[in-house]
Amino acid sequence: MSTFGEVVLRSLCVLIAFLVLPLLVGQTEHKLMAHMQGRLGPMYAGGFHGWAQLVADGVKFTQKEDIVPLAADKPVFRLAPALGIVSYLLALAVIPFGPHLVAAGITGSLLWVLAVGAIGTVGTLMAGWSSGNKYALIGGLRSAAQLVSYEVPLILAAASFAMAAGSFSLVSIAHAWTPWWLLWQLPGAIVFLVAGTAELQRPPFDMPVADSELVMGPWTEYTGLRFALFLLAEYAGIVVVSLVLAVLYLGGWTGPFDHQIGPFWVLLKGFFFAVIILWMRMSWPRLREDQLQRVAWLGLVPLALLQIVLTAAGVVLTT
Amino acid sequence: MTTDLPLPRVGPAQVAAPKPMRLVLNWGRRYSLWVFNFGLACCAIEFIAASMARHDFIRLGVIPFAPGPRQADLMVVSGTVTDKMAPAIRRLYDQMPEPKYVISFGACSNSGGPYWDSYCVTKGVDQLIPVDVYVPGCPPRPEALLQGILTLQDRIASERPSHASLREKLGPYAGRRASAAEVSRPLVAPPEAGT
Amino acid sequence: MTTRELTVGVGAGELATADMVLNIGPQHPATHGVLRLRVTLDGERISRAEPIVGYMHRGAEKLFEVRDYRQIMVLANRHDWLSAFSSEVGLALTVERMLGMEVPVRATWTRTLLSELNRVLNHLMFLGSYPLELGAITPIFYSFREREELQTVMEEISGGRMHYMFNRVGGLREDIPAGWLQRVQAAIDGVRARMPELESLLVGNEILQARTRGVGVLTAEAVASYGVSGPIARASGLDVDLRRDQPYLAYDELFAPGGPGRVVTRQAGDCLARLEVLLEQTHVGLDLAQACVERLLAMPAGPVNLKLPKVLKVPEGSDYVATENPLGFNGYYLVSRGDKTPWRLALRSASFNNVAVLAELLPGNLLADMVAILGSMFFVVGDIDK
Repeated sequence: MSTFGEVVLRSLCVLIAFLVLPLLVGQTEHKLMAHMQGRLGPMYAGGFHGWAQLVADGVKFTQKEDIVPLAADKPVFRLAPALGIVSYLLALAVIPFGPHLVAAGITGSLLWVLAVGAIGTVGTLMAGWSSGNKYALIGGLRSAAQLVSYEVPLILAAASFAMAAGSFSLVSIAHAWTPWWLLWQLPGAIVFLVAGTAELQRPPFDMPVADSELVMGPWTEYTGLRFALFLLAEYAGIVVVSLVLAVLYLGGWTGPFDHQIGPFWVLLKGFFFAVIILWMRMSWPRLREDQLQRVAWLGLVPLALLQIVLTAAGVVLTT
Repeated sequence: MTTDLPLPRVGPAQVAAPKPMRLVLNWGRRYSLWVFNFGLACCAIEFIAASMARHDFIRLGVIPFAPGPRQADLMVVSGTVTDKMAPAIRRLYDQMPEPKYVISFGACSNSGGPYWDSYCVTKGVDQLIPVDVYVPGCPPRPEALLQGILTLQDRIASERPSHASLREKLGPYAGRRASAAEVSRPLVAPPEAGT
Repeated sequence: MTTRELTVGVGAGELATADMVLNIGPQHPATHGVLRLRVTLDGERISRAEPIVGYMHRGAEKLFEVRDYRQIMVLANRHDWLSAFSSEVGLALTVERMLGMEVPVRATWTRTLLSELNRVLNHLMFLGSYPLELGAITPIFYSFREREELQTVMEEISGGRMHYMFNRVGGLREDIPAGWLQRVQAAIDGVRARMPELESLLVGNEILQARTRGVGVLTAEAVASYGVSGPIARASGLDVDLRRDQPYLAYDELFAPGGPGRVVTRQAGDCLARLEVLLEQTHVGLDLAQACVERLLAMPAGPVNLKLPKVLKVPEGSDYVATENPLGFNGYYLVSRGDKTPWRLALRSASFNNVAVLAELLPGNLLADMVAILGSMFFVVGDIDK
């Protein structure tokens, strides 16, 4: 009975983190973007500086009419938003916030994150295919092309961290971390950040949802809660990528007083990467699809391979 | 293809909601108005000005990140509605999910404005779709739009959605649906030589 | 014995490809307004593009015929809502020339000043909206800050933020308010000082360059044959500017040798060249406005309009006056039968020709480039459809 209670408790914690952290990121985006553009951002919802803007959004989305277009492939259309949500929820479950503070401690947790993280894109593809809308279809195909090319550098970069630590477990990688990784693993971290952004379809790699070309890409036909789930998945994706990068590259909970405030360090480091991902959206235009492929195959893949050589040399020399 | 769609219905949560619950629901709709800018003419520029740093309607929770009608709660018709454009406006309005609101921004979309005697201008968008708030001016200043939004928000706060009120609002417009063919027809072919 | 055929493979039988017809618009985020493009796509590549116009046709030319010469101004500044003042000036010049009026010199210089400020306002709008189409959301906030600065001084003199209604046949509605020229000076200085910020966001950005360089190259021949004008024509190397070639208002003095006026041209003809022309024209516009302010400050007070008869009738005849609007040539062909309304007033607007070239420019490009090209044609839908 106690194990059952523990499972429920752990799942509940993950669910709460899953619902709260993306909202924090979203609110940060609202405010950061506004202040970078000389505005104030939401100010009235909830009173103090519009802190409840995204809560209001959520309350509103639950009230919207749920429209499934006539031309849509209905079961697939209905299922698509769930995929993105589930994939990032599962990924979040294995991210360690401390040496023993992890919801699901499995040994190959890095592999797990990479595996379930890619499922989210399948949801986008399903949405694009099933909507019965030409813009959605083009967007879905774009996201498929993007997934294929960006999984490779992402996995190569992750492999470098695993090699350096000699483990596939995120907890062990964080344990093996030393400050000199900051320099040693820098190319890998850059590749991971860029490829992660591309996989999340965040600007400047947001061609699948390019709103000035494809209206809203695969999400064009989605309304109400289903659309909100896609949005939640996008921001949950940012949370997952940032936290994973914080664990891999910045040593997770490592920091002053890490016995007391370890989780705080993980969140702070993750927040740092999340802000970088948000910042990119505010400063840059989007690339074209072929330019994106060029960046992946001619830029990121060689860089990631170089990092692997570098890591291998380092591992051989130091052990 | 025109399909006989049923009149939209409000969500079950709204009908059954007791008063405190309804306050929360209305609060959500009030401060989360994703806006779809139906930018047609001059007024669209003032609409953009209203979303920019000096006037910034995002403060009020009007989020201009809805590029399509499906995600929008509020449609701002800004500019002259022509007879050729009318089916498209109707169709996009129909594609918005309930609950939805419309602000008619500017003299042209209110009543035809300076084009009141033109042969090709629809004299008022309210002939096509139900309008919640009219903002006068040619073009109205961005401040006028802000006032229009505040007026709409006050109305939403005291709203009590029901099937009956929805039918009352949309009923008179039910016969004006536009088919897909009407908005995607090609150019009229030039006449044959000699005819 | 009948043979049963079974084809194994992707799709039914052979791998068939079908072209997709995509209707972009009439309401689409990229068309800023209601232009509609009927695009045939092969994958993401455009094989055929057909601009379909008319969604914004408001019948202005017909309405001109039932408005008297004072009222026409209302409609004349609304077809191109980003160049309202320049369009007003063009009409006023047409009527004045047919009446044989000599406009006071103070009015002429003030008109020139306001035309140039209007040009800067127009260009700032496109400098902001173009990156937005390429996915950069921030530059438009920078450009609108400058627009608000300039709109404030325009509003102070005319009372309007967009549609100024400040021209009258025979001059301007009112004289310059006290101290206004100093405030214009301050606004110009402020905008000029902050322009580098906007510039670094635009042409200083590698991604923006990668998206626009070599994309949508418009040849000088195509420009000439389609009657394209304005910044787009000059970006393809066509050195044409009515302010210099056919001077009106006070431009003959401003564009004289040694004056502040110069015609900005580029040779490349791609989207980046069009953007660069627009950027540099903004600077030239500010220079010209500055020169007008200095000239007006040195000028003694005097009348800014002529007394008109109660019923304004234009003598029989016809005339055509073209001006260099921010987006290109804007011409009015006025035919009068001696009435108080025109018998016919035809409008030659810049955007109509500029957009017509899209049918030639788009095929062969990617869908993503379509947005880049469409945005770089700098059109106003009302100016296309009138």
